[in-house]
Amino acid sequence: MKSKSIFIAAVLALGLALGAHAAEADQLKSDLIGQTMGGRENAWKFQSTDQIKALTIQKKDEDLKKRVYKVALELQAAKDTPRYAAEAQVEYTRTGTGWKIHHVGLLSLRRMK
Amino acid sequence: MNAKGIVSGLLGSLLLCGCKIDQPELGGPLANLTPDQRAQFQEGKRIFQRVFEPKDGLGPLFNSVSCAECHEDPVVGGVGDEVEIHASRFTEPDSCDLLLQEGGPVIQQDATPLLRALGILKEQVPANATQARRSTPAIFGFGLVDSIPEATVLSYEDPNDANGDGISGRASRTIDGRVGRFGRKAAVATLFDFNAGALPFEQGITTPLSPVEETINGKPVPPETDPAPDPEVSLEDLQKLDAFVRFLAAPPRSSPDTYEEKALVKRGEELFASLKCSVCHIPKLKTGPNPIKALDRQTVELYSDLLVHDMGPELADICVGDTRPAEFRTELLMGLRFREQFLHDGSAKSVKDAIERHGGEGSRSRDKFKGLSDADKKALLKFLQTL
Repeated sequence: MKSKSIFIAAVLALGLALGAHAAEADQLKSDLIGQTMGGRENAWKFQSTDQIKALTIQKKDEDLKKRVYKVALELQAAKDTPRYAAEAQVEYTRTGTGWKIHHVGLLSLRRMK
Repeated sequence: MNAKGIVSGLLGSLLLCGCKIDQPELGGPLANLTPDQRAQFQEGKRIFQRVFEPKDGLGPLFNSVSCAECHEDPVVGGVGDEVEIHASRFTEPDSCDLLLQEGGPVIQQDATPLLRALGILKEQVPANATQARRSTPAIFGFGLVDSIPEATVLSYEDPNDANGDGISGRASRTIDGRVGRFGRKAAVATLFDFNAGALPFEQGITTPLSPVEETINGKPVPPETDPAPDPEVSLEDLQKLDAFVRFLAAPPRSSPDTYEEKALVKRGEELFASLKCSVCHIPKLKTGPNPIKALDRQTVELYSDLLVHDMGPELADICVGDTRPAEFRTELLMGLRFREQFLHDGSAKSVKDAIERHGGEGSRSRDKFKGLSDADKKALLKFLQTL
């Protein structure tokens, strides 16, 4: 009985954690809209969440003033255009009303097969 | 003398003394900037002229130590005699590899002493890639070019040559799907994107938007060769640099001195239109509504449609994004008289040579030019010397 309860609690905790993680990824996607990373031929402006085919949070660091995510992205401008794999560093700063996205740095970019 | 006479007299005096009304000087800021914007221009100019050293973040691979090292003639923001090496790999029918895993399309031609000590003097063109030469353009008036609405550019597209004039321009699309307009292949959508990429690509300076060093043909730079912490410039400095370029005024046109020269220039301008040069080199476009007054609904004499055109196999070099090897963005002719080398690669040593090497969609106009009398050729070239 006891081990069953522990198992159920663990499953619930995992579910909640995954849900929170998914919500955080969705918030990131939303915050990215309007931001540009990289430059020149490598510049990517996030114009809609539809262009973000996948976003995985790889790392999160936070202090009192700054929150920095490292994320892996799959990006595609439109159907029938090439898909790109990117790694980005998304930096937020704390404001009076909460965390606000400050800029996005392009760490790597490659065209997917 | 009545009021009309007084105004006419004053205008006449201004013209006689060679003065221009509200005409920004070459290399100066746009007219109608606010004091704050003029201050941004000046601060940005300092960053544009800043000579970076390795301890500041220069390199380890780079093409130049400052923006102004290349964009310098006859004033800061002008042309340069430097010719860069760019490369990519094109696979028919339309696949373009920008060598993103092999160091990117800009092949840096210089290295800092710490990298040289390891025997690396420059980046190499990857195997099986095609290389191209790129001359240094002037950047005067680019803020105005940036402010031309996308819809205006798209309105000139004729990808299937529906009107049968032999010219079928199309808008280039960037990797994220926006309409491109900057760079010889129009593979960059905005002036800010261009400026943000210039620091890492040309000087090896990392920015918050590109916080890691460019690789050496795909291999990470040895840490001991890159002593400055990343990013090597702040977002604020990048924005100031952008403000300088954005607020640089378009180059003023030169005015012919004599009645004979005026007539020659007028004849040349007529020929420019009748030879259909102006179908691609559209003389004037207008900026859209803009919160910056100096960029708001202004006329830009850029002499380009900002579209890419097939210029024929003789000029073809590399693909960039969705722009094929033979396609090039219509070169902006504003400031033409300050250049000493012509075409995208600087291989033409005169305007006449550049015209005569137009191919593809430019063939008909080229052939008409070749068929002109010497007097008409002289007139057309004289007109171009006023740009």
